[in-house]
Amino acid sequence: MLGDVTISAIGRGTLFAWRELGGITILAGQVLRALLPPRLDGPELFRNLYRMGNRSLPIIALTAFFVGGIMVIQAGVLVKQLNAAGLVGWGAGYAIFREVGPMLIALMFSGRVGSNNTAELATMTVTEQLDGLRALAIDPIPYLVVPRVIAMTVSLLCLVVLGNLIALYGGAFFAMFLLDLEFSTLYYSLVDNIGWLDFVHGAIKAAVFGSAIAMTSCYFGISVRGGAVGVGKAVNAAVVAAAISIVTLDFLLTAVLP
Amino acid sequence: MTSSATPSSLIEFRDVHKAFGAKRILQGLTMEVGRQEVFFIIGTSGVGKSVTIKHLIGLLRVDQGEIHFDGERIDNLSEKHFYPVRKRIGMVFQHATLFDSMSLRENVALPLRKHQGLGTKEALAKSDELLERVHMGNFAHSSPATLSDGMKKRAAIARTLAMEPQVVLFDEPTTGLDPVNARRIDRLIRELSDDLGVTSIVVSHDLPSIFGIADRITFIYQGKAYKSGTRQDFEQSGDPIVRQFISGNSHGPMETPGF
Repeated sequence: MLGDVTISAIGRGTLFAWRELGGITILAGQVLRALLPPRLDGPELFRNLYRMGNRSLPIIALTAFFVGGIMVIQAGVLVKQLNAAGLVGWGAGYAIFREVGPMLIALMFSGRVGSNNTAELATMTVTEQLDGLRALAIDPIPYLVVPRVIAMTVSLLCLVVLGNLIALYGGAFFAMFLLDLEFSTLYYSLVDNIGWLDFVHGAIKAAVFGSAIAMTSCYFGISVRGGAVGVGKAVNAAVVAAAISIVTLDFLLTAVLP
Repeated sequence: MTSSATPSSLIEFRDVHKAFGAKRILQGLTMEVGRQEVFFIIGTSGVGKSVTIKHLIGLLRVDQGEIHFDGERIDNLSEKHFYPVRKRIGMVFQHATLFDSMSLRENVALPLRKHQGLGTKEALAKSDELLERVHMGNFAHSSPATLSDGMKKRAAIARTLAMEPQVVLFDEPTTGLDPVNARRIDRLIRELSDDLGVTSIVVSHDLPSIFGIADRITFIYQGKAYKSGTRQDFEQSGDPIVRQFISGNSHGPMETPGF
């Protein structure tokens, strides 16, 4: 039987979640409105594309390379038992394109770029820099938020595409050296069984995850209250919300997409 | 949108009330600011000086009362309709609020790019001129994070001037500065009025500033304009509360929040 305290805690948590979800939805509406017609700041967009996309590439590439290796090593035992070397390329490619690539890279991206974005916007908010922008008659949504949403969505999409390729190379590398498989076996297993749909499935997920990370990180950044302590809480909330969003959206997209 | 504000007054607060939760800050503030004046709003900390000027650019909204600017009522404007007002009323914040991700010249160029339709090169060239005007030309390529508070405030003034505003609001512009830099800021504020015809509203409790450059002063006490007048009016005032503020005496009739 639930006590009053537990029921109160559940109620508070539910209200909090709905309030934050409502806030994110309103922000998403404001972002969409700012895009019709597009009112973008070019320098701010390119600055964000560079620091969010280009500068994330090394860490994403390193992670993807070893993820590919992990996939092959995990499959290796079963492959040897069943003598099914011809399935390694397909198995690794299918999992990487559709699931592991988008999700792991999105979680890495959220930790590196999303948290940084929240901290930056939250600091700007508590130090009145957002009010400073409004005082300059510059709306922070088109100027600050929209370029970040576009940059994060585009960056994650590109990083997932590149990361998937690197993960496949990583898988091939470890398969050749640890499982003694021929590169041609892996290659034909992949190209004969993986279709464009698998690639597009992962790309759609990447774009949706990128938008979700962008919206949550921007929302918690600009709605922060309470100085330095508030900035820490905002970053924490943004990372948790992004992770929940990624997993939930992944479930929904996996169920809906072909 | 029209008002019956007197033609000589540029800005008028009429019976303005503002509270944050149970804390009542403004409790019927009424005051007028004339054109091209250097107008000081003074009072003890927490009395609502910064709150008052933030209403003028819509960063805060009144609970009750009216604010008129240049013959138009502005307190009831939507956020969208406040943007044209913000192009005419600039604000220099207490902590300058320059963007650390940009150099000083890029900070100053931002409103030029956004509002005057200038390309990046033209905007940067004009921002260099504005930084020269506030004697910060040598630091145009510096990041705000590497500069002193006084330098940041001068750069923030240059950025506000890029808007070519009719009115500039200064929130405690000399707080935390050494006397030399504080007087430099004072001189800049005076020059804006004398040379460019800008109306300046300065929130301060820095007495050398107040008695050095103010044309008129309003003293806020208990949420209202307790006394308004010229420097001379304040210097010669016999009111015990005004006298206590000016003398900085901790003993007297003035009730201060938190004490």
